[in-house]
Amino acid sequence: MKKRLLCTLALFTSFMVATPLYAANEAVFKVGVVTELSGSLATVGNVTKRGYDLWAQEVNAKGGIEIKGKKYQVKLYYADAQSNPASGASAAERLITQEHVDFILGPYSSGVTIAVAPVVEKYKVPMITGSAESPLIWSNKFLYTFGTVPPINFTGATPIKTLSELKPAPKTAVILGSNDTFSKASAEAFKTAAEAAKIKVLKFNIVPAGQDLTPLLSAVRVLKPDLIAFGGHDEELIKLVKSLRQIDYTPKALLMHYGVTEPAFVEALGKDANQVFGASVWTNSAKTKSKILWPTAASYDAASMKAFNTPADYTQAGSSAAGIAFQVALQKIGATPGMSEAKRTELIKALEQVNIDTFYGKVKFATTGEYYHANVGMTPLTIQIQNGKTVIVGPKNSQEAAPQYPFTPWKNR
Amino acid sequence: MELLPQALMDGILLGGIYITIAIAFSLTYGVMHIIDFAVGEWIMFGAFAGYYLNKWTGLDPFLLLPFVFLIFALIGYLIQPVIHRVLSGNKGNPLLMGLVFTFGLAIMFQGIALTVFGFYSNSTPSVFSEGSFFIEKFGFFLTISSIRLAGLIYALAITAALHYLLKKTNFGLGVRALALNRDSAGLMGVNGKQTASLVYGLYVGVSAMTGVLIGCILSVSAQMGTEYTIFAFFVVVLAGMGYLAGVPWAALLLGMVQSIFLIYFNPGHTLLAVFAILYIILLISPRGLFGRGV
Repeated sequence: MKKRLLCTLALFTSFMVATPLYAANEAVFKVGVVTELSGSLATVGNVTKRGYDLWAQEVNAKGGIEIKGKKYQVKLYYADAQSNPASGASAAERLITQEHVDFILGPYSSGVTIAVAPVVEKYKVPMITGSAESPLIWSNKFLYTFGTVPPINFTGATPIKTLSELKPAPKTAVILGSNDTFSKASAEAFKTAAEAAKIKVLKFNIVPAGQDLTPLLSAVRVLKPDLIAFGGHDEELIKLVKSLRQIDYTPKALLMHYGVTEPAFVEALGKDANQVFGASVWTNSAKTKSKILWPTAASYDAASMKAFNTPADYTQAGSSAAGIAFQVALQKIGATPGMSEAKRTELIKALEQVNIDTFYGKVKFATTGEYYHANVGMTPLTIQIQNGKTVIVGPKNSQEAAPQYPFTPWKNR
Repeated sequence: MELLPQALMDGILLGGIYITIAIAFSLTYGVMHIIDFAVGEWIMFGAFAGYYLNKWTGLDPFLLLPFVFLIFALIGYLIQPVIHRVLSGNKGNPLLMGLVFTFGLAIMFQGIALTVFGFYSNSTPSVFSEGSFFIEKFGFFLTISSIRLAGLIYALAITAALHYLLKKTNFGLGVRALALNRDSAGLMGVNGKQTASLVYGLYVGVSAMTGVLIGCILSVSAQMGTEYTIFAFFVVVLAGMGYLAGVPWAALLLGMVQSIFLIYFNPGHTLLAVFAILYIILLISPRGLFGRGV
């Protein structure tokens, strides 16, 4: 009898709790987020999570997205891609078919994005990735996939150009890329740009992801390249710098992408992170002005410090900007939560017309050509770590400080 | 050709790291007949212990090794009875249950580490991190990093210590007897439960020390474990499951293959080469390189 009473009470309580929640859900935009929260890319996947979270917090703090005079809050539904494309694809499918999300904020990595894109295409649910940079995503011309960070073949040439303008300019280079979609594209972009800048590429290798590259770098040391350029992710970058340190080889310049702008890079390497070059499209000192959510890059960075006690880098900023792009497009078409397929298709058209100034810079998606649906409103930047801070060193009209070149030998740091 | 000494030296130094990863793992298999899929996670926890102890005390990670060993050996000693209970159950397949249990442990440990330590990659500084020897004579080049050399010396010291423990002490005699035949060893007065607990404690302690070392040479992150579990498994299978004396050779072979492939062939095919070699060797000799595995 007692057991039955307890069961009835439990059922009643859960019903009472669930009912208002369900009712509340009707008035919110359900936003699916597929990103790498565990696995080898968890560090950087969580950078995108910070960006998406900050956007949602700020929107909800302002009462929600205002549509035809009524405000709708947003609710994020996370699904872990586990740093694995197949898991990412099934996570996206689950968000769409079970959670019935209105739209999706996409993964950190290009590999997972390419796996998720056909799924959102199949179910006709728009997705904006706030991070993925591989040109392969855009050359596939997925109708429902957009991205706020420009592709690496759009940004990668800038740091090489900055380096080629230094005196004495690097004459030789060794270019390496980790074996994943994004890193290979980064290495290839560096190679194309180096050849165009008449820098002789002594060695170009795609290397196994996450592995210890010391033997390869020992061989590279014998070639004495002026420039070592590496496409990879955060932990691989840290390992590469440590390997160079251990074999005590200092090239004239070390260029790496992505991870240099991520605060963990400086924290892990300390003084050895100084003078490393990287590519970016945004820093917290960018001179941007906006009327949506955050007025400047500095105010966004301050919000990030307040929320996570961590400065923002361009991936985090790009992720928040992805939310803003959706927000603006939703307002434009007057969409309300629980969008129909027709409304979602309308949202795609509105996204294609987005041309806004945000704290992150201009967001404008290409509608034709090789950058189809990638953001081409940004100016690529060359950055360098100077005294533990990310500083813009190129192109000249955006420069905050002169590049420190050549690299100070490891022993003299 | 001028890079050959470098390729060989790097292979030996990489092999040194693999010895430390696999040797205690092999010992546990030999005694407890358990394939511990959480080996990489013990390494990861050790790496974090080294990282934080260094941060808090300012002591060099190499000085912290004995302390890390003691803490983790105690943890291992206390955890082993739980694993023993899973392995000695009379329902289902104990070996399979052991695999599933340690696999579950590994996933749980990864989750705990992600929650507690966060998702950042870190690095542990050491005095040995900064130096290297560079030799350039007769057209040959050789770079030896101090910290990797220290790692190799540590690996050899651990191998020698385990060899001494197993071959020259009464405890070692008990361990070997237990590995050969659990029931007979018990009849001869070997306390099976306690010896297994001590061996597991030893394994966890050594794995954690290896983690400290890897934190200095490479990096520390909550996601690092899986990679080392794969390498430990590779080395132990190649050496012959549970055949401890084969481990250093298998580890050196793995290091050498990686090094030579990275330098002379397409680096992108390194892991393909490593696993192709494992496959071929197991095809020819299913009980490992020396045919002495279980």
